[in-house]
Amino acid sequence: MKSDHVVDAKGLACPMPIVRAKKAINDIESGQVLEIHATDKGSKADIAAWAKSAGHEMLASTEENEVFKFWIKKA
Amino acid sequence: MVKLWTAEQVAKKVMNEERMFILDVRNNDAFEDWKIEGKNITHLNVPYFELLDGINDIKEQLPENEEVLVVCAKEGSSKMVAEMLDEEGYTAYYLQGGMKSWSEHLEKVKVHEDENMKVYQFIRVGKGCLSYMVVSDGEALIVDPSRFIEKYEAAAKEENATITHIVDSHLHADHISGGKMLAEKTGASYYLMKSEGAIYDFLPLEDYQKIEFKNVSLEVLAVKTPGHTPGSVSFFVNQKLLFSGDTIFVSGLGRPDLGNKVREWAKDLYDTVYSKVSEIADDVVVLPGHYGDLDEEKSVHGYVGDLLGNIRKENEKMFHTTKEDFLDQVEKSASSVKPPNFEEIVAINRGHQSVDLEQMVELEIGPNRCAVHHTDE
Repeated sequence: MKSDHVVDAKGLACPMPIVRAKKAINDIESGQVLEIHATDKGSKADIAAWAKSAGHEMLASTEENEVFKFWIKKA
Repeated sequence: MVKLWTAEQVAKKVMNEERMFILDVRNNDAFEDWKIEGKNITHLNVPYFELLDGINDIKEQLPENEEVLVVCAKEGSSKMVAEMLDEEGYTAYYLQGGMKSWSEHLEKVKVHEDENMKVYQFIRVGKGCLSYMVVSDGEALIVDPSRFIEKYEAAAKEENATITHIVDSHLHADHISGGKMLAEKTGASYYLMKSEGAIYDFLPLEDYQKIEFKNVSLEVLAVKTPGHTPGSVSFFVNQKLLFSGDTIFVSGLGRPDLGNKVREWAKDLYDTVYSKVSEIADDVVVLPGHYGDLDEEKSVHGYVGDLLGNIRKENEKMFHTTKEDFLDQVEKSASSVKPPNFEEIVAINRGHQSVDLEQMVELEIGPNRCAVHHTDE
């Protein structure tokens, strides 16, 4: 899936994946897509909950070789 | 500088029914599913990702002159939020190791002491599971050990005792048993009902009416129905204490959930209660394998348990009724709610499956659903 910006949060523990993602999403335009890579297991539920609470749209998420990937469209 | 509380410190506060204000910064689903519970605890649940820009939005909901404990899954986020609170002048602590540590902590309480034996209860406060140690003259017997076997080894060492016997009252579906690991580590004899289907080496409880060591005699109270799961055994110790496993709880009788043989399970329970437990005196202390509500089921002595006489009185209906009525009652209470990940946990406890430590943690973490075994009274 095409994205406008990628955050690599692999190897980072909670709360860093969302701290990085939030910073990155502040720097992109509304409607653009942020791609996040993380390995922290907790990030799976937390990134979905964060996107929902902030009003962003989770376009897709995958899990491959213990890496979680998320595509989030900025509100 | 932001401070921390360990799971042990928090458990002490819960046991002492102290007031606590907990800011739980996990996501709402995780909080709803499972949290630190206690009589005088006030909770506020705001996910950490809603606090990244600061805590201004929640200031009105925070107590001004009270300590605030910040809790998350593993520690990282709670530490961050506690630091933010600290900078704003609050007295904030974070829970070391987060809910993972909370799930793993065992609180040791002395239950009984006489010239023949000393008995300790280990309360897994975060999950509602109970295990026990009986010490007599340098030997120790462990009942229903959790996988934190070093806790029992340390407790035995404190008593200058060697662990020589380990018993599991039933094959657990809600937590991973430490029985096999502890037996391998210590060389102790490990007893389990053969009918529970474990495939490793153990001594089948079916072959024992009594387990004896030093000045202790454990009478094995079981209704031996071959091929029947779940089967829960009770142990009657020196005519004084009853380790009741999943049969009798402080709040009432066990109820069937797993195994889908509700009526058979109910018949076994009836036979246990009416032919075995009925012969046990009122002043015997019942020490169960689980509890549902710590504050309700904790005795004035600080352990989970009650006199059999009191439990009989509170559950008149179940202890003095016709067989038909009893079976109907138990059947009615059957629950379809299963402990999280029970199929994998059962497979591990039977020895069909082995997992690494990280997987054990993942499988066991989560809500206390041990209470689903209880009848609703």
